[in-house]
Amino acid sequence: MMAPALVAELRAIVGADGVVDRPEALLVYECDGYTLERAVPEVVVLPREPGEVAAVLRLLAAEGVAFVPRGAGTGLSGGTLPVAAPVMVCTSRLKRIEQIDVANRRVVAQAGVVNQWVTNAVRAHRLVYAPDPSSQPACTIGGNIAENSGGPHTLKYGVTTNHVLGVELALPSGELVLLGGAVEDRPGYDLVGVAVGAEGTFGIVTRAILRLVRSPEAYRTLLAVFESVDAASEAVSGVIAAGIVPAALEMMDALIIQAVEAAYGVGLPTDAGAVLLVELDGPAAGLERQVERVKAVCARAGSREVRSARDDAERAALWKCRKRAFGAVGRLAPNYCTQDGVVPRTKVPDIVRRIAAAGARHRLRIANVFHAGDGNIHPILLFDERDRDEVARVLEAGREILEACVELGGSITGEHGIGVEKMGQMPLLFTPDDLRAMIRLRAVFDPEGRSNPHKIFPDAKVCVETRSPRRQAAM
Amino acid sequence: VSGWADIVGAEGAGRGGPEDAVDGVVPAWVVRPRSVAEVQACVALAARERVALVASGLGAHLDVGGAPSRVDVLLRLDRLARVLDHQAGDMTVTVEAGCPLPSLAAVLAEAGQWLPLDPPRPETTTVGGVLAADLSGPLRGSQGRARDLLIGIRIVDASGALVAGGGRVVKNVAGYDLPKLHVGALGTLGVIVEATFKVRPRPEREEAVVIAAPAARAAADAARAVLDSDLEPLWLEVAGAGGIADGPGDGAAVAVGLGGIDEEITDARARVLELAAASGLGAVTVADGGGLRARLGGFATEPAAAVLRVSVLPTDVGDVLEAANGPGVRCLAHAANGVVRVAVADPTAVAPLVQDLRRRAARRGGLVVVERARPEVKVAVDVWGDVGEGLGLMRRLKAAFDPGAVMAPGRFVGGL
Repeated sequence: MMAPALVAELRAIVGADGVVDRPEALLVYECDGYTLERAVPEVVVLPREPGEVAAVLRLLAAEGVAFVPRGAGTGLSGGTLPVAAPVMVCTSRLKRIEQIDVANRRVVAQAGVVNQWVTNAVRAHRLVYAPDPSSQPACTIGGNIAENSGGPHTLKYGVTTNHVLGVELALPSGELVLLGGAVEDRPGYDLVGVAVGAEGTFGIVTRAILRLVRSPEAYRTLLAVFESVDAASEAVSGVIAAGIVPAALEMMDALIIQAVEAAYGVGLPTDAGAVLLVELDGPAAGLERQVERVKAVCARAGSREVRSARDDAERAALWKCRKRAFGAVGRLAPNYCTQDGVVPRTKVPDIVRRIAAAGARHRLRIANVFHAGDGNIHPILLFDERDRDEVARVLEAGREILEACVELGGSITGEHGIGVEKMGQMPLLFTPDDLRAMIRLRAVFDPEGRSNPHKIFPDAKVCVETRSPRRQAAM
Repeated sequence: VSGWADIVGAEGAGRGGPEDAVDGVVPAWVVRPRSVAEVQACVALAARERVALVASGLGAHLDVGGAPSRVDVLLRLDRLARVLDHQAGDMTVTVEAGCPLPSLAAVLAEAGQWLPLDPPRPETTTVGGVLAADLSGPLRGSQGRARDLLIGIRIVDASGALVAGGGRVVKNVAGYDLPKLHVGALGTLGVIVEATFKVRPRPEREEAVVIAAPAARAAADAARAVLDSDLEPLWLEVAGAGGIADGPGDGAAVAVGLGGIDEEITDARARVLELAAASGLGAVTVADGGGLRARLGGFATEPAAAVLRVSVLPTDVGDVLEAANGPGVRCLAHAANGVVRVAVADPTAVAPLVQDLRRRAARRGGLVVVERARPEVKVAVDVWGDVGEGLGLMRRLKAAFDPGAVMAPGRFVGGL
């Protein structure tokens, strides 16, 4: 149990309304978007300013208490699950966009600023913050940085790490440090580069300097309809092979098409095997020729038709289908688990077949909606959590799918992170020496391992094992 | 120390001479491993014997960074030069660190692809060199830097262990982004032996428009007009007086690189010419855009006592071009990135100019690094300048990854 004196001191820092410790109120924080494991924190602290985050961490450092950072709780790998960490530090009240520099296309945003707010704030200047995870109306910049979030348009524009110039980090010691900054080519190690994607294990991101991009002069958004996922996958490979880099290249299979159409009714072909959502953007000149090339590739792969959004409203409707696809899945089953894996792009047809086989073997329905252009798959495994046998089969099938990704030369996560969900599978990708290097890096920022413990790395046993024998021998 | 020849063969180990010097420090040995295993054995031996080593490719960029405090062994990776795996359909390539850029480019070109990194001296630049020194050129304006294209790395750490980070897929968040640690680290955290990049389709054509300006300020304004338009130039360089010597005016000019298919280039060319005309500036079209880009990219290694790299916000580029002005001083900037290179001919002018530019830049959140300089110039200046709040973490990082301080000691920030 948390010492009452500590809770009182936390209140003194963040105000009475910034500490949650009533059991019924704490239930909200028992999980994030990954719902298969749950744990309730003892106390949740909601600082109002970066300085308060640092003050909270100084207090916890003095007491040797571990903590879990959390933004909006939309993560999908259990990265905010409080395991052996009694205090949760929630950045949702750090919600100011502090500075907008239109001419230099930079924004300074506090960690709790919602991704979508950034683009909303600069849209009038024809600027956008490019990383666009599906959860962008809710997820925060701090969480995006922790997970190195992606999104459909990262195919052309890059993921979070390509758009973060600087990060202010509250270290577990309670020290606030600014890493990187507004200008490029800073001397020193790329600490911003490793802080992005550290899943909250280096401390808590309090604010960030983000790079904006100018919205392109023109868009063409296409919906290509196929009889099968195989045919659509072939078109994906064909587009890439033709040297075309679309802004986005997304696939939805039949199950998703039906669910989305039932939910939003935008006229998707419910009898299709798969659809591809292809967006091309850039200067208007030359865009038409690219559209024609994409259409030709789709036709060669056997597309039934290729529709083109006629205006912004149609484009918005198509994107709404894609980004809210997960919401529509609720119509298919009481529960679902979204997997996140990556394969080399030419292996998309292979992995889709492997997913179908895993579904058949484990008697599960699996829907697919994913970033086909960069080989980042998102099979959605449907289940009913009251059926314990089915839950076990979901976990087993998920594991098999990830193993298949690794076999095909890919990775176990493209944008959701390792969290608690995939700790056990890290050794599929990394040798003990690789993991040792990562653990060594973590200790640079968090020598006591108090920031988001029991995440990313297989388990405590590994930490013990990895006390470098080589280094001891050298001493 | 003996035993190098036992590892790499007699022909691969020799005494260092003046031509192998790193910023004036002559290594006792030059060792050229033939495999990753030999690199591991060399580093392990160095660790045991506590000798300092500097990794090198073809030696074209060893003048980047601080002078090493000592160099016992120059580890040349030029015999690790294979393109290991180009997957054209996946648009990825895995390559050994000692591979020269032209060899890699030739393989990629067969599939109409490129790795859009264009450092100076490309013929003698290796993949490992691009990464370790974080080299870039005009293309970074639209294509990003090495950190944006690198997706996987293998390094030999200070104990001799082979450590991998990242992978071979274009999107991957499994574990920490270790590859980024080694970009620009000058080999102070380990020896890069292999890298995997995402590659891109190479534009069908590349040409350029050069806009002559009467002075640096006008050139910077013209570059801003391009940046604020709907044009998406492949690259955009802006020069102060004397910057583009073979350009249409006195050297103050903007060079706009255009890439893509015919329709795109034709349209963009017309728009650039229109922008120039609207400002009353003359402009010429350069058919060989790639050739001009290579010449401009070479600015950083043209003969000079020192080349400074000034980082500012893109809107402050004009101020830097105006401030860094005078006899024997030439400037060329990556306009979209706010990175200005200042070449200084007179060795005695370097230190005062660095001081002046640092003072000006600091007022606007900018900074100045002495990117390259002759050894005798380097000793008189602080090469790196203010590193910022992260220096403490950087020291801990170095201590964690190279506890014996044998990896290129002294070359990096804070004397690391």
